[in-house]
Amino acid sequence: MNDMVKAESKTNTKTMANPVVTEIVRNGLVAVTEEMKINLMRTAYNMIIYEALDFTVGMFDARGNTVSIGLGLPMFIRGMSETVKAKIAHFKGDIDPGDILLTNDAYITGSHLNHMTFSVPVFHDNELVGFSCCMAHWPDVGGTLMEGTTDIFSEGLQMPIVKIHRKGLPNEELISIIRTNVRIPERAMGDFRAQLAAVKTGEKRFMEMMRKYGRDEVLGGIESIMDQSEALARERVRAMPDGVYEAESFMDDDGINVGQRVPINVKVIVAGDKMTVDLSGVSKQVQGFYNSGITAGYSCAQVAFKCLTSSLDLPINEGQFRALDIVLPAGRVVSAVKPAAMRMWMTYPMTIVDTIFKALAPAMPEQVISGHHADLCVGRINGRRPKDDSFYIYLGGLIGGGWGAKFNSDGRNAVIAMNDGDTHNGPSEQVEAKYPLLIERYCLRPDSGGAGKFRGGLGAEQVVQARHPIRFSSLMERARCKPWGLFGGMSGLGNAVAVHRFNQTDETHFPSAKALNQVLQPGDAYIIRSGGGGGFGSPLERDLNTLEHDVRCGYITRESAETYYGAVFARDSLKLDIAATQTRRAGMKQQGLPHDEPITEVIIPFPSTTQPQVREPEPEKLTEEERVAFAMRCRCCS
Amino acid sequence: MNAPLRDSAIRLSADVGGTFTDVAAFDETTGALRLGKTLTTPKRLVAGIENGVGKAGSQFSAAQLFLHGTTVAINTILERSGAKCALLTTQGFRDIYEIGRVNRPESYNLFFQKHQPLIDRDLRFEIMERMDAQGTVLIPLDEEQVLKAAQAAVDEGVQAIAILFLHSYRNPIHEQRAKTIVSTKFPELFVTSSHELSQEYREYERTSTAAANAYVGPRVQRYLTEMEEHLGTAGFVGNFLIVQSTGGLFDVGDARQSCIRMLESGPAAGVVGAKALCDSIHISNAIAFDMGGTTAKAGVIYEGNVLMTGSALIGGYATGLPVQMPMIDIQEVGTGGGSIARVEVGNALRVGPESAGASPGPVCYGLGGTEPTITDANLVLGRLGADRFLGGEMPLDLGAAKQALNERIATPLGLDPIEAAEGILRIATTKMAHVVRWVTTERGLDAADFALVAYGGAGPLHASAVARELSIGTVIIPRAPGHFSAYGMLVADLRRDFVNTWFTPLADASFPAMEEIFAEMERQGRATVGRGQTLSGVAVERAADMRYVGQEHAVTIDLPIELFTSQDRDGIKARFDAVHQTRYGFSVATEKAEIVSLRSAIIGEMRKPPFEHIARGSAEPEAAAFRGKRPVYFAGSGFVDTPTYDRPALNAGNRISGPALIEEHASTTVVHPGDQVEVDAFGDLVITVRRG
Repeated sequence: MNDMVKAESKTNTKTMANPVVTEIVRNGLVAVTEEMKINLMRTAYNMIIYEALDFTVGMFDARGNTVSIGLGLPMFIRGMSETVKAKIAHFKGDIDPGDILLTNDAYITGSHLNHMTFSVPVFHDNELVGFSCCMAHWPDVGGTLMEGTTDIFSEGLQMPIVKIHRKGLPNEELISIIRTNVRIPERAMGDFRAQLAAVKTGEKRFMEMMRKYGRDEVLGGIESIMDQSEALARERVRAMPDGVYEAESFMDDDGINVGQRVPINVKVIVAGDKMTVDLSGVSKQVQGFYNSGITAGYSCAQVAFKCLTSSLDLPINEGQFRALDIVLPAGRVVSAVKPAAMRMWMTYPMTIVDTIFKALAPAMPEQVISGHHADLCVGRINGRRPKDDSFYIYLGGLIGGGWGAKFNSDGRNAVIAMNDGDTHNGPSEQVEAKYPLLIERYCLRPDSGGAGKFRGGLGAEQVVQARHPIRFSSLMERARCKPWGLFGGMSGLGNAVAVHRFNQTDETHFPSAKALNQVLQPGDAYIIRSGGGGGFGSPLERDLNTLEHDVRCGYITRESAETYYGAVFARDSLKLDIAATQTRRAGMKQQGLPHDEPITEVIIPFPSTTQPQVREPEPEKLTEEERVAFAMRCRCCS
Repeated sequence: MNAPLRDSAIRLSADVGGTFTDVAAFDETTGALRLGKTLTTPKRLVAGIENGVGKAGSQFSAAQLFLHGTTVAINTILERSGAKCALLTTQGFRDIYEIGRVNRPESYNLFFQKHQPLIDRDLRFEIMERMDAQGTVLIPLDEEQVLKAAQAAVDEGVQAIAILFLHSYRNPIHEQRAKTIVSTKFPELFVTSSHELSQEYREYERTSTAAANAYVGPRVQRYLTEMEEHLGTAGFVGNFLIVQSTGGLFDVGDARQSCIRMLESGPAAGVVGAKALCDSIHISNAIAFDMGGTTAKAGVIYEGNVLMTGSALIGGYATGLPVQMPMIDIQEVGTGGGSIARVEVGNALRVGPESAGASPGPVCYGLGGTEPTITDANLVLGRLGADRFLGGEMPLDLGAAKQALNERIATPLGLDPIEAAEGILRIATTKMAHVVRWVTTERGLDAADFALVAYGGAGPLHASAVARELSIGTVIIPRAPGHFSAYGMLVADLRRDFVNTWFTPLADASFPAMEEIFAEMERQGRATVGRGQTLSGVAVERAADMRYVGQEHAVTIDLPIELFTSQDRDGIKARFDAVHQTRYGFSVATEKAEIVSLRSAIIGEMRKPPFEHIARGSAEPEAAAFRGKRPVYFAGSGFVDTPTYDRPALNAGNRISGPALIEEHASTTVVHPGDQVEVDAFGDLVITVRRG
């Protein structure tokens, strides 16, 4: 069964570590990775690291097992451990103090080439005792600026496993290769330095712990922490009813074969204190750029497992996953092999995690969550600044979207998707100061949350005007397979992208929420809309005071309240007529209403894309400021 | 008995906390300091203050200055008991307050929460207007819409309105105009606009700051009015000043408008007190460590200056509301005397952050607490005396504490109860050490180079252990550590802080343009800082938030004014490089830097009261100070028959070798084996910590 990852069984003879020292080591490890995180964040050169926090730091044992991962990308929960293990295997013991190991091999990290992953071996009395690691997203690693890749070679520089420092000395030739292959080398080198500082911090603090508490105490403490985490997870799994649970969903397409669904089937087996997640029913790898490596597939199962068993247990460590087996053959869309294109690696795994929750919903309705918008909802923009013609790349969006409702509460409005954790959006005031862009609107999307006894969270909408020409792409998913509801809750709205041309009446929409390589002229705007979360329970059971509040605040329109929630309003007001509402709800229930449409079948044809549109003549000769204001007023009042 | 104080030069200060109100009365002519501690009276806080003033042997009619720190603003936010408010904001941005930064810190918790805005969506109104990032007006303010929105809000019964327009940090005219329109039409409303509180970019944080000010405004105003009336009735004719989160004072007129500036006044005053203490004994690097019943807090004094931050999340990282304004950088951890110890699945021993609080409190209080706490562990180890707590006013139940520790911790873990108690304290010590380390390492500093000034009810019990964990050599326990924030207020200065976002590459930055921005901030500061006060001087501090071009995060760099007068661009760059090197371990002299914001603090210096010296004694404490021995447990030594001393009976120059306990009304200082204590001229305990 080489497709199956068996959770590792412990080989060491059990030593009863002191519970006090164990707890001290545990707090110490959490503090180490927190310090690494802050150090990286504050020294990074790019908004994606500092504002968006698109990175993960961690400490690993001498075999590459996770000891502590700092708050970072949940979907990278497995990527660093596998990368460290690959590095250990690659160097076969040829690792010295002062070495710094680097790779961005997408098939090892499981993700895209932007994820430069550094590791520093930690030595104590000449013995290798662990690794300090840091992955961070570089905004540019070369490759084509055009979206729509179909192999890894067009996606940028591939750095195999190398020693970027050897016994303390930088390898200038390798650094020169990196500098030569990226578009803005000064920025890349800034992030490079920041990552080195982070891994060095981890190394230093781990060595201090060893000196302070002793080798055996620290390593024994780590074993005990893993045992504690394992015990907690097993207890939770044992409480789940045994059985085989399955669910399916799909991705809209792979970005190349438009409209061709990509099936996602998952199976979860609960038996005693063991859970097996079988992902062999997930689609084969695709032609487009949505593939990810096998470690991303493992992450899907681990993220879902952690959410259900030990969501707040820190630090994240190997022990938490000893009760989990994963079945995943190679060549699936989350276990892709070379030369699969990986640029949007993060998108499909989020839906797989949601599908695991969907499968387990009948078994544990009070622990799961309805579907969420499951996409980062970003736009990729590049252009030149008018004042000095300098080239810039801007990762726009990260606008957050709706999350699913639960058995006891509404889904959250406008929060980052499952792939990311502590990721922040960037302040609009900062964006406008740095780039020739104007954020016209950043708001919630009324009615986007799936109706339910508990409502799905609302998605968001961001309208951004180009003040100078830009190239814009947004490769979202889940426009057609909408975030699903559970137990009678309805689906939320899907993700969407549009372009609005200057002085035109209608927006241009894009199939499956994918706008590739659009050229925007001054006054044009792009619009990113994130989906809402699915509802939980029938909307006819929603508390009436809460419903009234929803309508008063505009989270739900009056029309939707009537159609989906059975509301009857007292004439000319937003006050509910309670008796009439109850009667209407009873009638709707008998008729099997409201009706949910979890899948959008309409496929919009691709508009002619890369050609600049023919522009309407401007109403009169305007200054730049007047044109910006004119365009904004048109859109906000249309 | 406290002798009646002379009525000419008395300074009163009051720190009103959740449980206790602390009052300090200081006589400037004699240098005498009197203290009073009473229970806080939540329904009518002035009553508690009045009691405290009486306990401190003073009266309002005798005072010429009343300094006040209060939790009224922060509690209004945490308890969600503020005013019904509306927000007027730029077209397209009504939801920014609710969307926030979209992050999900509890990344694996499917039941995660996010911040809850203080203003509901139906009371957030969009106004047609727009500025760009350069401050150019793209769309003029729709004044009629402002009036209509305000009317609609008033019809809904709001008491306060916050105004946030995009880029108001660059050009505030739309916010100013809108505020004028609303205030003129509705003079009874509390109206606040974002640029008055923060002139830094980041629209969500500024919205939240303005909204919080509106939310607490009416209640804080009522509170201050009530206080002023009371002071009038009590015959007070002096000046009434409030402590800000910066540790600086401002007058009650400013406090009525910028209410949010008093958010963290109590903790800030403690740090200011620690700085004054350090100044008096010539220590320039110290950590102010404050441990109470539920939390431990740490702030930093570096090269004689209190370290500040530009923003904080009120209510915690995961769900807190941001407030963007200068304040003392104080970090906290949920470890206090009431923190509960528990054994969780897999025999995991956890200490805090759950706290037994004051009620039911630790098991040994006998008020119904069943879970063992840090206080119970201290009692079982002999560090607290069952008959000595609060001067013996509150007997503690040692048997019950021992039993709880045994049943809930020791037995499940296979430890003996003493090991369990000692283990709980060790865990607590390392957790607190992490927060102390945190405030220093985040600046690239090493805690071992600092002294530890410990206060708060529980600070003296744990300070020496925390210091040893961090290789800190010196611990100072000030006089009256349980009243330290009230003491800190007495030594605070008046202060105004300004920040102005000004994105400019350093190479292009025009010195006359910078001078103009600084001059305007300083003009405003000088005009308000000393209103109605007798100042001994006015000091101006300048700083800039800077970063390398392309970096996102900016670092605040203190800049001597001479660098500006001599137009020393290279000097500014060199200072930035140096600070970056210290904090982050690298700097690049050849790389370009840019300015993000300019900062200015205008400090109205108050005459500093000279503190009285205590009586001088010999190295050996007087016999009267010795209060017998009791067995106390120390790791490595086991139970040791340990001498105990009465702190008020100690004299300057007394030396005590550990192990020892030094007891006073509300606190016990634990002196570990190998530690040495000397009482200084002011009565502070200076502990030389044995290296661990």
